[in-house]
Amino acid sequence: MAQKRIELPQGTLDLLILRTLALEPQHGWAISERIQQISSDVLLIQQGSLYPALHRLERRGWIKAKWGTSENNRRAKYYELTKTGRKQLELEQDSWKKLAAAVAQILETA
Amino acid sequence: MLSDLLFRLRALFRRKTVEAELDEELRSHFENQVEKFVASGLPRAEAVRRTRLEFGGYEQLKEECRDARGVNFIETLLRDVRLGFRAMKRSPGLTLVAVLSLALGIGANTAIFSLLDALLFTSLPVEEPSKLVLFGAGRWAGSQDTLPDRSWELFSYPFYREISKQNAVYAGVTAVHSIEFSTHGGVDGGSAELLKADLVSGTFFSVLGVKPVLGRVLDEADDQTPGAGPVAVASYSWWKRRFLNNPSVLGKTFRFESTVYTIVGVAPPGFFGTNVGQEPDVWIPLSMEKEISPGWNGLNEKFFQSLYIIARLKPGVTVEQASADTNFLFKQILRSEYVSPQPTPKELAAIQHAQIDLTSAARGLSNLRIQYSLSLEILMGVSGLVLLIACANIANLLLARGTARSREFAVRAALGASRLRLSAQLATESLLFALLGTGLGVVMAWRAGDFLLGMPAGGGHSPLSATPDLRVLAFSLLLTILTALLFGMAPAIRSAQFQLTSSLKDGRGTVRAQAKSPLARALLVLQIALSLVLLASAGLFLRTLLNFAHVDTGFEKQNVLVFQLDEYAAGYQPDARLENLLNQIEERVGAVPGVRAASFSLFTFNQGEWSNDVTLEGISRNSENSEEVLMNRVGAGYFAALGLPVLSGRTFTPRDNERGPMVAVIDETMARRFFPGESPIGRHFGFGDDPAHSGDYEIIGVVKNAKYESLRERPHPAAYFPHSQHVTYLPNLAVKFSGDAAQITQQARLAIEEVTRDVPIGEVSTLAVEVDSSVSKYRLVAQLSLFFGLLAVFLVSIGIYGLFSYTVARRTNEIGIRMALGAKPSEIMGMVLSEGVLLTLLGLLIGLSVSLGLTRLLSSFLFDVGPNDPLTFALATIFLILVSLMACYIPARRATRVDPMVALRYE
Repeated sequence: MAQKRIELPQGTLDLLILRTLALEPQHGWAISERIQQISSDVLLIQQGSLYPALHRLERRGWIKAKWGTSENNRRAKYYELTKTGRKQLELEQDSWKKLAAAVAQILETA
Repeated sequence: MLSDLLFRLRALFRRKTVEAELDEELRSHFENQVEKFVASGLPRAEAVRRTRLEFGGYEQLKEECRDARGVNFIETLLRDVRLGFRAMKRSPGLTLVAVLSLALGIGANTAIFSLLDALLFTSLPVEEPSKLVLFGAGRWAGSQDTLPDRSWELFSYPFYREISKQNAVYAGVTAVHSIEFSTHGGVDGGSAELLKADLVSGTFFSVLGVKPVLGRVLDEADDQTPGAGPVAVASYSWWKRRFLNNPSVLGKTFRFESTVYTIVGVAPPGFFGTNVGQEPDVWIPLSMEKEISPGWNGLNEKFFQSLYIIARLKPGVTVEQASADTNFLFKQILRSEYVSPQPTPKELAAIQHAQIDLTSAARGLSNLRIQYSLSLEILMGVSGLVLLIACANIANLLLARGTARSREFAVRAALGASRLRLSAQLATESLLFALLGTGLGVVMAWRAGDFLLGMPAGGGHSPLSATPDLRVLAFSLLLTILTALLFGMAPAIRSAQFQLTSSLKDGRGTVRAQAKSPLARALLVLQIALSLVLLASAGLFLRTLLNFAHVDTGFEKQNVLVFQLDEYAAGYQPDARLENLLNQIEERVGAVPGVRAASFSLFTFNQGEWSNDVTLEGISRNSENSEEVLMNRVGAGYFAALGLPVLSGRTFTPRDNERGPMVAVIDETMARRFFPGESPIGRHFGFGDDPAHSGDYEIIGVVKNAKYESLRERPHPAAYFPHSQHVTYLPNLAVKFSGDAAQITQQARLAIEEVTRDVPIGEVSTLAVEVDSSVSKYRLVAQLSLFFGLLAVFLVSIGIYGLFSYTVARRTNEIGIRMALGAKPSEIMGMVLSEGVLLTLLGLLIGLSVSLGLTRLLSSFLFDVGPNDPLTFALATIFLILVSLMACYIPARRATRVDPMVALRYE
């Protein structure tokens, strides 16, 4: 399992978190689970980077937190996208796509 | 932005809630993960173990979240401050020395800077002060009646008129009398009180752009015809002090000398005229010059040169252009009006050398500045060095403590603290020291400022304000940060270099190379070098002061009282009635039991000078006898009152009156230089260079040389004239007495009042006090630099003691081994001492080479001692060697008492 996983490039974690939260509000553990699932276990998010990232995004005002109850009836801190967060997500998605396309082009032609 | 701030604030003030939330969030994640593993079939214990492994450092993660929330900066700062205070409390001795030495250093720097600031950097409170220029440098005050053969400083009223009419470069020109007049006058017919007045041209206020707060300022109409402007503008502080800010001051009158003036306006607060350090009560138009000072009719007299001229540049005109235009006009005016159509060679030379140097008047004129800026600069340098030494000292103390704490730091680093974090903590601690020192220092500066101000004012009230203003506070703040950087640097460098593992092992093995800390030694050498510089200069100033005490003044300064009398204020005219008054007072006071002699004089020591060149009858001018002669007008008993021995001939008698031939007594220098190899008795001379007057005065006696203006002056030709042959107001009454000074003062007062109750008696002092106060600035500099020098030595001795105690403690183990192998205590002692001596010698060597160069800058402040005086330097060096040996001796002795068994077991 471990050998399949790859390191996240710098700065992409924020994008992934924002994208995950675009669907619905989630708590921290669910976010990491979702990213792992959707990426078919390729991407594993370490707690060590997930939580500092969440708190950073919250401070920037892109996501906000509120306390709720999770599926298994536990109190959990749910994060949701704010308006500015949504704008930021679009921006970052765009630039990521451009970057990915450019990198792909270079890899294929060069 | 706002939400960001609110977010941070919530994190800061609701720290407990935020922390609990963070905890709960992470815990819930943890549990979710555990359950996931359990669901996948792992036993619970194994699931917990795996999750914990995945999680890594829990505290570290929390710390990173706190960082991400951005609260950490403020929070850690607060925590560091708390930690800093705790560390200070743990070593109160160190803290006390560090904070006190810093406080002294910063306090002294702030106090002296605030004076320098008031004297050197503050602009006049007028409109666009940078546009103001002064003709000359403002070095001279008084009056001059010849063409000066150098660049000009004082100007006549007619010249002022000419230049303001003809120039093309100034928006306005104003003139201020170079002498601040002070005399007794009564307000609204009341009793006499001391008043100070500045005589100014009608353009004064308009050129400076100063508007009245009440009434009007002086204008040109007040300054048109002589005697026609008996009006005055009151200063704001006089208005406040004397009239309690009452607007009814307008129209009030006061009598100044024998003229009554009407107050027409009040100047704005803070405006003190153009002379920094003086504060006139009133401004009076120059048209009243003759009324203020009889016989001074400068308004029409082009050779009565007693004014400063200040001008405002027209917009766009540079100082260079103004200077060219002014000097061109100046020479033109000189040629057409000041010399005869066929100028003499002397006049031609004077015109050729005549020149007006324009200087900036933005900061006003200041005698104090000219007189005291060097002493203040010296003190600034001295206190700066002390601060530097204090910084080095604290750096060393912190360094030693830092090494002692290296294990603490290593443990914290191992637990995940970053180097940045550790350095930040050290920096906070340094800053804390610096801030405490500054706080205390500024309070000290407040007090010290008053003390230092006693210097320019000669003990009395001074209008200079040394209360720390914004600029001064900014200066101290800058100092604080600078000092914190300076002494915080060393421990910070050290902490960046430390090796984690070796620090953890520290104290558990043999001596580490680091115990030899080259940084600490370098700092110590620097301290020793700097303190030698301080001690040597303090020694030079001290010797200067001692030399002053041994100067032969010529006169006997003990048991001579000097009374200040103001005959003019009592309405006397310079005629027989005044002469009668002077004679009566001399006679009555002379008859008081215990008084040996009493005599009036125009000047006593250090009051200014009256000088003139003279022509000798029958001897042509040469370089020796064209030197200016210092003059004085005195009573018959003057030489007895001052104890000036008569070397040949006789002194004045009552028969030397207006009916007899005009006579003079000269001093031995004039006798020797003007009449080499012959007796001057019976010879004649006159004032100026006109041979027609060379027979005016007959020399009847020669007296011993006496100092006239200062203790520094070289022997100077001097001549004395009897007041009985030229009646004038004489402000000084010298009284030689035996017995109790207070009693004699009282009786002499009574004797004067028996003669007249109208003449106000001003200050009474003694010649000894006058002589003393003439060197007050030297005394202040000597005292302060000695104090700072000793403080520096004290700090250095603490530094040496600290370093060697520390070294010995670190080397206990090694010393134990040496002793176990047979080293004698004397060898151990020698080992420690020799290192101390080596460092001291190195410091002294550097200090000597630096101070030998630096003290040269002090030459003009020294008297009868060379800037490289070997004795002073030798004493300073020996003193420092002794102090450092003593400071090393205590730790060295401790080293010899090391018990090898204990030392070897020592961790």
